[in-house]
Formats: sequence, C-alpha cells, structure tokens
Amino acid sequence: MHLDPFELHRPTTVDETVRLAGALAGRFDFLAGGTDLLPNYKMHLNLKPHLVALEDVDELRGFSADRLGAMARLADLERDPAFAATWPSVADAVGEVATPLVRASGTVGGNLLLETRCFFFNQSYFWRASLGFCLKADGDRCHVVPQKEVCYATHSGDLAPALMVVDAEVEVAGPAGRRRLPLADLYDAKGDGVRRLTLAPGELLVAVHLPRAARGRRGRYKKLRVRPAYDFPELGVAVAGRWTGDRVEELRIAVGGAEPRPRRFDTLTDALVGRTLDDARLRELAEAIGKSVRPVHNTFLLPDYRRRMVAVYVRRAVAEAREGTAG
Amino acid sequence: MSAEARVKFLLNGHPQEVPCEDARILLDLLRDDLHLTGTKRGCDLGTCGCCTVLVDGRPTLSCLTLARLTEGRSVTTIEGLTPPQGLSAVQRAFVDLGATQCGFCTPGFVVTATALLEENPRPTRAEIERAISGNLCRCTGYIKIVDAIAAASRSSG
Amino acid sequence: MASGPSRPLRLLGTKIPYVEGPLKVTGRAEYTDDIHRPGELVGRLLRSPWPHARLRSIDVAAARATPGVFAVLTGEKYPTPFGVLPITHDETALAVGKVRYIGDIVAAVAARDERTAEEALAKIRIDVEPLADYPDPQTGLSKVAEPIHARGLNGTNVQKEVVQHFGDVDAAFARAARTVRVRGSFVGVTHAFTEPLVTLAEATPDGRLTVWSATQVPHYLHRSLSEVLGIPMHRIRVIKPEVGGGFGGKSDPLPHEIVCAALAVETGRPVRMLLDREDVFFTNHGRHPTQNDVRIALDADGRILAYDIEAVIDGGAWSSFGTVTTYYNGVLAMGPYTVPNFRYRGRRVYTTKPPSGAMRAHGGTNIRYSVEVALDRLAEETGVDPFDLRARNALPPHSLTVNQFRITSTSFLKCLAVARERSGWDSKFRRLPFGRGVGLGCGFYISGSNSPIHFTPKMPQSTVHLKVDMDGGIAVHSMQADIGQGSNTLLAAIVAEVLGVDLERVHVQRVDSDVSPIDIGSYSSRVTFMMGNAAREAAEELRGKIVAGAAALLGVPAEGLEVGHERIHPVGRPDAGVPFLDALHRAMESTGALQATGAYRSPTLGGTFKGARAGTAPAYTFSAYVAEVDVDVETGEYRVEKIWAAFDCGRVLNRLAVEGQVEGSIHMGLGQLMGESMNYRASRLFNPSLLEYKVPAPQQMPEVEILLVGDDDPEGPFGAKEAGEGPLIATLPAVGNALYDAVGCRFLELPITPDRVLKGLDLRAKEGRRWKGA
Ligand SMILES: Cc1cc2nc3c(=O)[nH]c(=O)nc-3n(C[C@H](O)[C@H](O)[C@H](O)COP(=O)(O)OP(=O)(O)OC[C@H]3O[C@@H](n4cnc5c(N)ncnc54)[C@H](O)[C@@H]3O)c2cc1C
Ligand code: SF4
Ligand code: FES
Ligand code: FES
Repeated sequence: MHLDPFELHRPTTVDETVRLAGALAGRFDFLAGGTDLLPNYKMHLNLKPHLVALEDVDELRGFSADRLGAMARLADLERDPAFAATWPSVADAVGEVATPLVRASGTVGGNLLLETRCFFFNQSYFWRASLGFCLKADGDRCHVVPQKEVCYATHSGDLAPALMVVDAEVEVAGPAGRRRLPLADLYDAKGDGVRRLTLAPGELLVAVHLPRAARGRRGRYKKLRVRPAYDFPELGVAVAGRWTGDRVEELRIAVGGAEPRPRRFDTLTDALVGRTLDDARLRELAEAIGKSVRPVHNTFLLPDYRRRMVAVYVRRAVAEAREGTAG
Repeated sequence: MSAEARVKFLLNGHPQEVPCEDARILLDLLRDDLHLTGTKRGCDLGTCGCCTVLVDGRPTLSCLTLARLTEGRSVTTIEGLTPPQGLSAVQRAFVDLGATQCGFCTPGFVVTATALLEENPRPTRAEIERAISGNLCRCTGYIKIVDAIAAASRSSG
Repeated sequence: MASGPSRPLRLLGTKIPYVEGPLKVTGRAEYTDDIHRPGELVGRLLRSPWPHARLRSIDVAAARATPGVFAVLTGEKYPTPFGVLPITHDETALAVGKVRYIGDIVAAVAARDERTAEEALAKIRIDVEPLADYPDPQTGLSKVAEPIHARGLNGTNVQKEVVQHFGDVDAAFARAARTVRVRGSFVGVTHAFTEPLVTLAEATPDGRLTVWSATQVPHYLHRSLSEVLGIPMHRIRVIKPEVGGGFGGKSDPLPHEIVCAALAVETGRPVRMLLDREDVFFTNHGRHPTQNDVRIALDADGRILAYDIEAVIDGGAWSSFGTVTTYYNGVLAMGPYTVPNFRYRGRRVYTTKPPSGAMRAHGGTNIRYSVEVALDRLAEETGVDPFDLRARNALPPHSLTVNQFRITSTSFLKCLAVARERSGWDSKFRRLPFGRGVGLGCGFYISGSNSPIHFTPKMPQSTVHLKVDMDGGIAVHSMQADIGQGSNTLLAAIVAEVLGVDLERVHVQRVDSDVSPIDIGSYSSRVTFMMGNAAREAAEELRGKIVAGAAALLGVPAEGLEVGHERIHPVGRPDAGVPFLDALHRAMESTGALQATGAYRSPTLGGTFKGARAGTAPAYTFSAYVAEVDVDVETGEYRVEKIWAAFDCGRVLNRLAVEGQVEGSIHMGLGQLMGESMNYRASRLFNPSLLEYKVPAPQQMPEVEILLVGDDDPEGPFGAKEAGEGPLIATLPAVGNALYDAVGCRFLELPITPDRVLKGLDLRAKEGRRWKGA
C-alpha cells in the first residue's frame, strides 16, 4: 500500500516547528512514531499535503520521573524499572499498548493524541465509499448514531486515563506561545467528536509533566481487550490513590477506551476521601461509574458487555492498586 | 527527481544512497526498489510483524516507517543478520526445532528474537511470548518458536 | 501397495528439520512477490461496492486514456465460467452481468505503477441497478425475488441440497432410551495466512504464458487458466514458488490469478497482482458460517442408535468447494463412532457475501462440535463417563460404516486411553473447583479425498519423478504443493530412506508444470498419503536400478543385496558392499542418467448411491483431546491452560512436522472457538484486517502435550496417515465441554466470547441451577 505524495519537513527546534505549523496551517499533520498516522494515511483518512516529523526536535525527546517528552518512545519507558516504580498506573498502561513492535516506534505524544476509532472509520477508502462516508472523514453523517451530527468514535489510547489519575499536565507550544493545561482538559468535552481536542490549530504537544504531589500514589491500569496483544482497549480503567490503613486519602479513577473522551470521576471519588473504602462502598462506586459510562457499538465487543465490565474493572483496579506497592 | 529526494543510510553495514520520495515507505524501498525481499509484507498496517527490521538496533515495523526518516541511521534486515556462511544461532534453532513452517513470518521473528536476545540474553518463556507478540504466525501455534528462541538463548554462551 | 518396512527406518520417524528451512530463516526462500521480471506492470482490481446489483454499463474510456495505463479489463472479455469443482462452474474472472457481493471484481487495470493504476480505477464509471441483497441463508431457503444465481434450486438461493438416509432413523429414535438435541451456530472464519494472495504472470512472444502464484493446487489453477483464457494447457506454465500458508484459502483457482494472467496476455508485459490484506479478506473462501441441528439417540446400553442431522450452510456468492462442503457437514459425522442409522439434510445457500470455501478440517469442524457436545450431554444425562461413552461406540478397525466408508486402521481406543490417563481425567472431571474444568472432544477426518476432482479415479492422484545423474544428486519432481506443512521434506526423506542415502543428496524441485508430473496439490490432507506412496514407488524403482549396478559390480545376483547407509551390500554384510556412487555409475553405463517414476491411484471405494464418493478416503485419522480451562466467572474471560492431544496419524514419518501440525491446528481451532469471526452486518464485512480479525496471540496458547499413538496404516506410506487437518477438529469441542465442566453452561454459539460466557452464567443463575457448589 503506497502513500499519496506529501512533503516531509524535519524541524529541529520547537520554535521552528511552531513556525512551520503556522505557515502550513490546516495543510499538515505532525508525525511522531507514525504508528497511528501512517495506517490512517494508508487508508486515505484525512490526508494532508505536508507532514512535519518531530523526531529531530531535541526538546521533545527523553523522559524523567517528572517529565515525559512528547517523543519519548513507549518501549523506552517500558524498560525503565525506576519509572514503573514511581508511576505504576502509567507503566501498566505503557506495557499494554498494541504490541512490542508498535511500542518500539510509538510515542507518548502520539498515544495521547491518537485518532479516535470506529468500525466505520478505520476502513479503507473503498470500504468507506461503498457505505457512504461519515462525519469523521469525507462525509456528513454518522452511521453509529445517525440521529445526531456528532461523532462517537472511541478514544482508544491507553496512556491518557493512566496519566489522568496522576494529575498529569501537558505542555503545548503554538503560535501564541506555550501553555500548560491538565491532561484531562486536552480532550474537548464540548466538541462534536470530530473536533475532539482543545489544541489550537498548529499547537504542538511538547511534554507531559508529572506532578511531584502525585508521587507515591498506588496505581493500576486494567485493560479489556480480546487478545493480550495487538488490540486497542475496549475499555481501560486507571486508578491511583493513597490510603492510610483502609481510609482513603486520595483517589482518582479514569476510564478510557469506552467513549469519545477519557474521563475522570472526581465527584464520585472525592466523596470518598477520608472514609474507609470497604467492599460494599467499593461496589457502589464501581456501579456508579459503570452506570455513567456509555459505549456505543463501534468496536469489536458489544457495548452492553463493555459497559458491564466497567464496574468489574473499576473494582478490581482499585483493589489491586490498594494492594500494590506505593511509588 | 530533485537532488534531495534521496535517502542516505547504512544498510546492513554498507552505506547506501538511493532515490526516495518523501512518501516512500521503508518496506517498499527495501523490497520493491532494492529487491531485498527477505523482509516480508504481510498486512502493511502494523499488525503482523512480517516486515520487522532493525533501525539503529531497534526492531521496527518497516511498513509504518518513512524511508527518509532512516536518513543517517543504520538499517539491518534479515539479510544483514545472516552470517556469510551458515546460520546465526537464532536461525539454526528455528530450523532445527521446527519454528518455521511456511516461513513467511520467519524473517520477522528472527529479527525480533535477535533483538530480544541482544537485550535479554536469558529470557523466560513468558518474556519470549511477550516479546514476539507483535509478530503473527498462523502456522506454528508459537510453541516451537518460543522453544527455538529459548534454545538459541542457551546456545549463545 | 505399501507394506510395512523391510528394515528399521533410519530417517523416517525422527525429527527431520525442513530441507528448505535454512532458506526460510534467512529470507532467501522465494515467494511469489519476491520474484521480479523486467518491465513489470502493476495490476489492480476494482471491486463492487454493492452487495447485489445488475451491471448496466461500465465506462472505462477515461481509465484507458490515463497515461501509464496499459490495459483495462472488464468481465465480457473473459466470460467463461470456472470453479474448482467441474460440476459447479459459476464463477467468472470479473463480474459478468451482475455483482454478487461487496468486493466482487468488476474491472482490472495494468499500469506502470500502483498510483497510476489506482488513478485509472477511480475513473471507471459503473452504472448499476441495485438488487435486493441476501445476507441471511435462511431467507434464501425459500423462493426469492432476485436469485443470486440462476442455478439456485427452484428460484431459491439454495446451491446444493443433500438428503441422505441410511437405516431407519425414525424407528431408532422411537426405541431409544435417551435422545438429545443440540443446535449449533457458527460464524464464518477465514484462513488468515500471513502471505497475501499474489500472482505474477508473463506472456512471451513464443506464445507461452508463465504464471507464478501463491497457490496450493497449481494443477487446478493450470486448468482454469486454460479454460478461461482459451489457451491450451501446454502453452501455459504454472510455477508455484514458496507459499506462505494456505489452510485451504489458496486451493481454489482464484479470480485474481486469472485476471492477472489475462492482463499479461493483453499487455504482453509481466504483470504483478499483489492483493492488499483487505482484498484477501474479501476473497475469503474460509469456513462456512453454519447452523446445524443434531439429534442423537442412544439405547439403554449407551450405544448410539442414530444421528439425525440438519445443516444450513452459508456459501457466500459462489460455489467454490460448496457441494463437497454440503456432503461433509453430514458424512464426516460417520466416525469415530459406529452410527447404525443416519439421516442428513444439508443445504448450502448462496448469499451476497464473500464466498465460503475450504478451510483446514473442511466440513468436519462445525458438525463435530455439535456432535461432541451432544455426546457430552448424553454422557451426563445417562450418568456415564464421557470417555466410557465414546469407547463403547468406537468404530472398529477394518469395518464399513453405514454409508459404506471403508475403515481400515484406527487407534481411536488408544487415543482415548492415553488422553484419559495423561490428563488425569478421573481426578479432575467434575472435581475441579467452580470456574475450572476439563472436557473431552474427539475427531475423525479423511486422509485424502479418494475422488480427485478433475479426473477419473483411474488417473493417478499423485506422480513423482526422480532423476539421478553422475553427480549422485537426486532430483525429485512432483506437483505436490508444499505450503509450509513440510511435504518437500517428507518427499526428500522418503526418497533418501528408500535409497539409503543422506538427505542432502535429494533435491526437491520447485513446482513447475513444464517439468513436474501432476499431483493434485495440498488439500483434503492427501499429500503425505498419496504423494508419499508415489514417492516410495518411484524410489523403489530407482533403487532397483542402482542395486542392479551394484550386483554387476559385485558379480552377485541383485536379490542377495540390500541398501545400507550410502552403500549397497549383501544382506547383513555392510562391509562387503560398494558405495552408492559406484553402484550408480555402473548402472548408468547403459542408459545415462537414471530415471524412475511412481504414482498413487485411489482404490475403488464407497457405495453406488448418489453422493456415495463424498467423504471416501483411503484412510481416516482419529483423535481424542482433553482441554483444561480456567474461567473468570465475573468477566467471562477464560484461558485454556492445557490440551492433551492424542492423535492417530498412523506411523509418524516426521515427528517435527507432525508436532508442528498439531500445535498449529490447536492454535487455529482455538481461534475459531475463542474469537475469530468474519464479522458481517447485513452483507458487509466489518473486519477485513488482521487487527480486527482475532487470530490468537502467543500468550493465549495453552501448554500442549502431544500423544501420537497411531498403529501403522495398511495402505499409508510406511504406515502413515494425514496430520494436517484432523488435529484441528477435537480442539473446539474439548474446550467447549471443558467450559461446561467449569461453569455448568453449554455454549452452542461460536466464537465463545467473554460476553457469551457471561450470558450463559446469567441464564444459569436465572434458572436457579447450581453447579459445583456455585
Ligand atoms: C496494530 C496496532 C495496534 C495498536 N494498539 C494500540 C493500543 O492497544 N493502545 C493504544 O493506545 N494505541 C494503539 N495503537 C496506536 C498507536 O500505535 C499508539 O497509540 C502509539 O502510541 C501512537 O504513537 P505514535 O508516535 O506512533 O503516533 P503518530 O502516529 O505519530 O501520531 C498520532 C497522532 O498524534 C499526532 N501527534 C503525535 N505527536 C504529536 C505532538 N507532539 N504534537 C501534536 N500532535 C502530535 C499526530 O499528528 C497524529 O495525529 C496501535 C497501533 C497499531 C498499528
Ligand atoms: S462514530 Fe459516526 S461519525 Fe464517528 S467515525 Fe463512527 S460512523 Fe463516523
Ligand atoms: S507488514 Fe508490517 S506489520 Fe504487517
Ligand atoms: S510459519 Fe507460516 S506464518 Fe509462521
């Protein structure tokens, strides 16, 4: 499968990248590891005439306990035991992404920004043309929920929920300069699904910052998928928290792989702070989260099942996080 | 073709400079332009691992890699992992222990296994299974592939 | 023909690494897409976006005018129908008059490169009259407004109906002590071989056409090319390079192969047609989606009285092997038990979906699942151990089934005994904690279809030619098709065994219709049995010539000589003989290079009623598998922990290859059981990719203990039978029955995904049924 021609750019600094992005406004995509973008390009999904490769931009590379460069490779993170000890939920998630070969190229930034997924979207041009294009590429209606002009394609990245529960922030750079925002706010709650990020046009993800305050949280990420390799999450549940004995000091839960955005459930979890989380209460919490998550039928497993699994996975993830060693 | 529409890299230890447009995929360059056909095309979409090569020693899906981004790097294909005479320890074990049937997945597995043993000379079975879980084999049921990698790890010192 | 070995085997029976292994592990083995010809063009296909439509017109003018385009083809140019079975030629290379599924080929282009080809395809305008589509075979059982094919029975979409009745089933059910009914439902699954479909074709000025293709059956491709292109077979040369897996999916002559050759003829240039993975899924020919309904009657002693089986089989758009499939879904239930009364009604129905065809353990897999689950239920309901029930009903060796299958060797009882013992069955069955369970499933399969598809049984099914010259290297020619199962290695090993020479002397030549004598290829698990016998016969003839040379050298009668390791010597006196090469050179003095030929002909088998030959085979294989599973009862996810695989493939000739076939079969069987599915909504395939088609990952493989217990088969080469497909079958029911033992739910819909497991558990809870304390 060939790619349609495009022009490849290789900036070396963030400033240069941002300038390029400004100049090419709307006619380019950033290219990180390419493991999400290039399959989509091969399927002729939303092609652009320019690609801006980020691999030579020094500032984006590497990672430490406080900061993950946008271009940090998942395989490198996976191989760092100190990182795993500090950020257990994130390490769990990294190890669950795709396959070792995809992780060898795949990056943190690409994972957080990867295209949402849908059975009607991740198909060849021929396939999509034969049904009639949809909102998300080339068309004007949704095949999943035809009544609405909204895209329900699923957020299918493993890292986002795992980073959200440790209150990660992202640093972005754009024509208007640099800014920082909570990772959770990167995903546009008001968008129509096609617009799914709060990034301004031309904005570049530079790094993820891991707050010191969140160090020492116990954490876990649990992923539902058909096979223990290859598959995108059909559901991903991340937990991080602190307990004193049975008493909850802090608790964060995020769910990904089930809706167009990864979501945190702070109202539910904040209510538990200072209380003991016994089995009954945990069950209640899990059920409440399960009730509010609403997958649609656009992935392999049926939505009813995925929804039912939310409660089970939440309960287990919390229990396992609590048992796990603190970072 | 403009002067810059080329790529210069180290291919199996030898410097190469070949015409290459921006949108050229590494797998296509290797197979179709350079006729290095040991690297296989199974799915073209990152799922099967048949196209695995090493880029600066790291196993890489050549079907999802832009050829021009290997500029200045070292690319090693299955051809480059094969000694001039005979077979590498991993290759030998794959033959002797029946880890290759139709053989179409095999170059990818050999590349992945070679990199694994480089990094972790004594992997457990579970570690091997995990390491090869981006390479798809439809023939063997993986058992003999894991056997062979385990055997190669024992034989190399 | 074949008899037991006259001396202990030296090579056969050991673990013989593949002769081409070193080429495969170094990337030097040559597959079709690795071959390059000067001046090659790229061939691309335009596929139908409609599931069912009448073609009004196709405008290719703009495509033709595209610079860099060398040819554009549509259906009328080559309208001759073809198909793998001579009685059901209902396919055309490109759609003629109608398209019948999303993915049907409408047009093809040969261009200088991929981009140009696609640009040209995009300019083709097709005007159609859309027709009602028929994704559901049930609809097609009755008269439909727009039959998919004119040949559908009585205005329905039924492609083939088989009705068979042996004995008196109603009377048997009337006097039965216990009966059971199981209705199984199976989605389609596909081969998912790693090498995509690919063909390279070149027409040359000498009037010949050469076709390289990833095919399991070069000979059927050869015939179909000739029929459709109207070129005599002797002017077509078919070459089978290395093939990256087939599993049945490369056994039909496929339309893209013919289109590619046609483009080569049209352009006079070499044309490569490499299909994308999506195209491979659309080409399909995988296992038929099936609904079956199985009733079994037992007498008071636990003996099977009767089977009553119905099956509705979803054929997709074409016939392919479907007529055979329709028979197999009934008659392959004839073993491994004695079934004195048998009734079957099978209907294969065309649907507007990619064609179904033959896939590993063709026709024997889905019916086996339902039968074995039914027997598991009967065992439970009659309070008999599942092993005992099966042992009581085992088909005896050297017997005839009620439909006149000739059973010769069977080690089924041994399979049962060893599986029971090794798995620790008696301490596990119904005794493991809730969520954990063991199950038994058994299998039965043909060791080579006795009916060669295109010939009378008088023509050999397999032929092997040997040639040896002064260098002492033995060239082996045969059109048998190694697709990874190791038949080249077996061929070489048999020749080396008979001649007493080292394996490295034997060179199996690439399949090439110009020089390879006909063998009808890799399907129906026929190669070891048939090619093996042909190879043995050829090697024995050659041995006779070389021994005669030794006799002349030694001045003794040939009768007193035998072959030792690289020597020919007086019986029992290896030191007194002559080296192989000396004997060879002496033998060559009168004729030059020595040649020999061997052939395998099918015996006369089966009854005289209609369809009697379907399922006849010169031998059958038997299996008994125990699976142990661990179920997460809250999520429905489960793991198959271990499989004990007792298999009777007669004598084991290459242990490495047989083990590999068993392990690979289990992996494939588990795929169908656990998650693989051709996922259709209406006529549309939703998961044409290796990402969304769920071939199991390495971590999902259970531990496998292989127990090869076969006795020598009287007609198999050195006593061997097949091991390529039979080992798949028992996997599915063993796991299905183990899940029952684990959680007390029957799963009759495949694949058994976690949501289905939970549904079963919910249902059991609702019914208030308790199981193992839970
Ligand atoms: C077979 C297969 C299985 C997969 N399974 C999983 C899975 O299980 N879980 C999972 O999470 N993912 C999965 N993926 C998707 C993907 O490989 C990973 O998410 C990976 O981390 C993406 O990173 P990348 O660097 O390759 O992204 P790219 O493809 O390079 O980029 C992805 C998107 O992010 C944008 N982008 C990247 N970096 C930046 C930046 N710094 N600033 C602004 N925009 C940027 C790109 O423009 C693009 O739109 C799978 C992919 C494949 C091929
Ligand atoms: S959810 Fe609807 S709009 Fe979004 S990708 Fe799927 S079909 Fe298209
Ligand atoms: S061809 Fe690259 S992963 Fe399949
Ligand atoms: S050996 Fe055939 S796919 Fe692995």
